[in-house]
Amino acid sequence: MMNRKKALIAKALFLLAFVIIWEIVAKRNVFGSNSQIVFPTIETIAKAFVRNFKVGYAGISLWKYILNSMELLLIGLFLGIFLAFVFSAISMINPTFYEIYNMLVSICDLLPGVALLPVVIIIFGIHRSVIVFLVIHSVIWPMSRNLLDGFHSFPQIYIEAGMNIGLRGKSLLTGVYLPATTAYILSGLKVGWARAWRGLLSAEMIFGIASSPGIGLFINQMRTNLNNAEVYATLIVIIIIGVIVQYGIIDTIEKHTIKKWGMSK
Amino acid sequence: MSKTILSVRNLNKVYQDDKSVILENVNLDVEEREFLTILGPSGCGKTTLLRCIAGFEDYTGTVTTDGKVTKDPDVDRFMVFQDFNQLFPWKTVKKNIQYPLRIQGLKDKDELERIANETIASVGLKGYENYYPYQLSGGMKQRVAIAKALALKSKIILMDEPFAALDAMTRTRLQKELLNISKKTDCTFMFVTHNIQEAIILGTRILVFGDGGKILVDEKNPLAKPVSPSSEGYGEFWDRLHSALYQSDN
Ligand SMILES: Nc1ncnc2c1ncn2[C@@H]1O[C@H](COP(=O)(O)OP(=O)(O)O)[C@@H](O)[C@H]1O
Ligand SMILES: [Mg+2]
Repeated sequence: MMNRKKALIAKALFLLAFVIIWEIVAKRNVFGSNSQIVFPTIETIAKAFVRNFKVGYAGISLWKYILNSMELLLIGLFLGIFLAFVFSAISMINPTFYEIYNMLVSICDLLPGVALLPVVIIIFGIHRSVIVFLVIHSVIWPMSRNLLDGFHSFPQIYIEAGMNIGLRGKSLLTGVYLPATTAYILSGLKVGWARAWRGLLSAEMIFGIASSPGIGLFINQMRTNLNNAEVYATLIVIIIIGVIVQYGIIDTIEKHTIKKWGMSK
Repeated sequence: MSKTILSVRNLNKVYQDDKSVILENVNLDVEEREFLTILGPSGCGKTTLLRCIAGFEDYTGTVTTDGKVTKDPDVDRFMVFQDFNQLFPWKTVKKNIQYPLRIQGLKDKDELERIANETIASVGLKGYENYYPYQLSGGMKQRVAIAKALALKSKIILMDEPFAALDAMTRTRLQKELLNISKKTDCTFMFVTHNIQEAIILGTRILVFGDGGKILVDEKNPLAKPVSPSSEGYGEFWDRLHSALYQSDN
């Protein structure tokens, strides 16, 4: 392994080289007269970035699209995680429920949410709830899988140690089961978030829900209008959101929980 | 004459999945402040007996703790396991000790602080208050487990070969410390071990179990504390326990 400083320099140099080569390709029209359309210059992309937020599309700033997407994402994540906890908890109490739910999780976990969309749209119509449904579907199965696995694989002595100090039922759940499965919960969250985020963008691009226009719709509109600089600028926004969630939120939670406790898998 | 703190009556234990009787009609009285050490061949049911008393197993018969029939786990009978994993890894040493007190309804911050500091000091872990369990050695983790019981003022501390997985030096040191602790507290101890020397060093009363939890030897420790292998009468007592153990093996 390289030391951190060297690695940081290497990465920075790579990015710089990438930007420079891009700029040369853009300025020299390397790909013929339409080159600027495929490879707009960095300045054009930067201006498009600002324009996305200032002007936006159809008189609405990109902010609004982001907020719409995030709202649906958060509602779906919250409901999906909540339901996963409820069903997984019931599974711990009732063996029959466990068998059936475990089977259901295994089956549904394999089903990409986007593939479900045609069916869901037949039922709900093209509506915001379709996106929420997709997000719930993205997060509930991996979260449940991790919870079910986690509940069965932490050292069972924690349970007896918990009962010995007076924990029972609900207090045992919050005092032992949840903290003991934190590593599993976080990995369920990571998979769930990744699937939900990708699924949401795809669904918005494919079906473009007009009653709640989101980032996917925005980027798709930019493409149909041949605003390629805006497309790149939006991609950068999408990457930034991903970085914030991964490094700003998930990694921070890990650092303050399982890393601190010496419990990372 | 001190009072009986624990009494086991007609205790029978059969595990569900196989029908053999593990404990058969066990009867036992333990007096307050006694340090009971239990020897016995592997598989004779020592762990099972402690688990029944702690309330982790179903059984027939009765266990009475300080005059009350006890069936479920509770803080009056505190189990110190052999497994180093018994601490909650998501809590620091101090929080591991304070959390049970909170569960029991103690809210006063100063009091929680005082008890934690006192018990941490009594098991020789001053300075490790804010360590997480993964940062501790096996011996230190066992000390924290003992500190939890002391903080809770459990009436009976059940110890199932707590030092068996430790190296000899750490083990000897912990025996000494436990002996000192036991002299200062009002707790009663039931301590299972494979090691005859450990049983003699720690116990004020020593039991040897045979199969089915049959009590083969039940004697007050004749040797004055602190006991060492050079103590007067040590060899003779050791031999007696050893032959009882050996006999039970046949
Ligand atoms: N959970 C269990 N289910 C079935 N049999 C068990 C279980 N735990 C222990 N036993 C059996 O009960 C007997 C006594 O075990 P144990 O109490 O652990 O003995 P000891 O602690 O004296 O070595 C052994 O024969 C063991 O195989
Ligand atoms: Mg045992």
